[in-house]
Amino acid sequence: MSLDQDVHSDLDYEMHTQFEVERFLYREARLLDRKEFDQWLELFTDDVHYFMPLRRTRSKRELDQEFTQRGEMAWFDDNKMVLAGRVAKLATGTAWAEDPPSRTRHIITNVLVVEDRGDELDVDSNFLLYRTRLKSEEYTWIGSRQDTLRRVEGALKIAKRTILLEQTVLLSANLSNFF
Amino acid sequence: MAVDLDHIEDLVSVERGEIDRRIFSDEEIFEREMEQIFGRAWLFLCHESQLKKAGDFFEAPMGRDNVLVVRQKDGGLKAFLNTCMHRGNAVCRAEEGNTKVFMCTYHGWTYGLDGSLIGVPGLEQFYKNSIDRSEYGLKHVPQLDTYKGFVFATMDPTAPPLPEFLGATGRLGIELIAARGNMEVVPGIQKFVINCNWKFTVDNLFDWYHPSITHMSAFDSGILPGANPEMQDPTETIRPNGAATPDGTELSIPGGGAVDSVTVLGEYGHAIGGPKVTDRPGPFDNTWRERPEAREALGPVGMIVGGHPNIFPTAWIAVSVQLSLRVPLSPSQTEIWWFTFVDKSSPPEAQQMQVFMSNHVFGPAGILEQEDGENWTQSTKQTRGYASSKIPQILKMDLGEGKIIKEDGIARIEGATSEHGQLWTYGAWAAYMRGDSWDEIKAATTPGEFF
Repeated sequence: MSLDQDVHSDLDYEMHTQFEVERFLYREARLLDRKEFDQWLELFTDDVHYFMPLRRTRSKRELDQEFTQRGEMAWFDDNKMVLAGRVAKLATGTAWAEDPPSRTRHIITNVLVVEDRGDELDVDSNFLLYRTRLKSEEYTWIGSRQDTLRRVEGALKIAKRTILLEQTVLLSANLSNFF
Repeated sequence: MAVDLDHIEDLVSVERGEIDRRIFSDEEIFEREMEQIFGRAWLFLCHESQLKKAGDFFEAPMGRDNVLVVRQKDGGLKAFLNTCMHRGNAVCRAEEGNTKVFMCTYHGWTYGLDGSLIGVPGLEQFYKNSIDRSEYGLKHVPQLDTYKGFVFATMDPTAPPLPEFLGATGRLGIELIAARGNMEVVPGIQKFVINCNWKFTVDNLFDWYHPSITHMSAFDSGILPGANPEMQDPTETIRPNGAATPDGTELSIPGGGAVDSVTVLGEYGHAIGGPKVTDRPGPFDNTWRERPEAREALGPVGMIVGGHPNIFPTAWIAVSVQLSLRVPLSPSQTEIWWFTFVDKSSPPEAQQMQVFMSNHVFGPAGILEQEDGENWTQSTKQTRGYASSKIPQILKMDLGEGKIIKEDGIARIEGATSEHGQLWTYGAWAAYMRGDSWDEIKAATTPGEFF
């Protein structure tokens, strides 16, 4: 095999992985916007950590302390049980914050496979979550996600998701949606 | 219709349990609140554990003023307005951190940790030494004090000292966190904005009528222990009395309602409202009260108070071992700040469990608090309609029927769930807003025989 062919096959592999990951993330976003939360929950491994830390306005020289760490306060610090609880809550018919339901659209971009360990992939992506409620309430959340995707029985699952929001004071009354 | 500011007492009738809706949206009322309530009452700023080293600072709101609370080199605390004495720019733009000095980025005026002006670029060349630096230190808050590590300040130099302002009720409120052990604030203050009037966010903490309905999904989904039938007291079941879902089905109301409750009414507007402490298991552990030191700090009334204290006007001590500060931004916008505490002398697993509970019960993604914001936003909106604004809001539950028991220097009412705590708060609100003197406010908020 020549060197050229090696490079080619590496690129083919990366393109294949990129396609696989993007299709997975887009399908996930579609499940959320269609409010198919039971199916969405199945995309997570049982040991998942779903984490959105708090962010603080800090001076440049203290920027290493911008985000809270695991074990400190957070917007989301969920294991599979809590995620399942949130999905169950939305399904009760009495989750008033989502009745009438929010209209949401998840825009997922800048998908980048940062590291490919074979059985696990670290994937960064950017998101724009647009939500409207009732007659005229409008919210926009923009940020990045750092996912660890794991290959489980031939399918990708989310084993870890860290969501970094581009807000310090949260500019909304609640977070009744998923990111 | 404009509000008559000369007759503010007409806006709140404690006798009828009625509140004029305009107090939730009127601009002039809000301006007067800034002056008469947030410009006078002692306000919670932060906890000492947030400021461990010299130069540690935390920016806290006092009404619409921003105050820097700073740990000094001698270990003390100082608090001053975050506004340069030259042209008013903020001298610090971070929410918290550690610094050697506060330098204004406009013209470089530099202040020490104690607020004194230590540097003025061009003092000789431009000012010809004509200004005296000692006259232009950052403006200190007139009074700053702490109680059990909780830092408070007031903009009113004539306000009574903090222990007097807190009184037995306010001090008990703080003990419900402080007496749990070696309490420190967990890193990360949740801050978020709700488009509602600040008073809805305050009175709701006394409202134990709403959880079973507003937070029904939290109980229905089994995500909170209150929904476990073994943990429900059958006497707590709330009868629907005709309440039904939109499809006509009778409302099935889950547990979580507090029929057996105790409300404490305190001077200067403080109050505590909610269920009586029981042995039944629930989401929140009460065994900490049995420690001898806690027992002594709480006193006999503190041992049975299982609800939420509010240090008037806006510091809610939550049973989740958190302090929620309600920060008014405008008549229709309020920030919520959650400070979360752990007992540093407890095992690490217990501390982690505490943080886990706090992260999942309250806050904007909290299983309970997700549902609150929209209620308050809609309630605020409906105070602006020409016709709607003329309908009083009512707080008539057990109105005038609450027999006041005085024990251990604390006044309380026992009985079923009531709206005494909310109404007490609005009564105090009116006393401050009238411009009463401190003596008059105290007299107006001293409990009588019935409420």
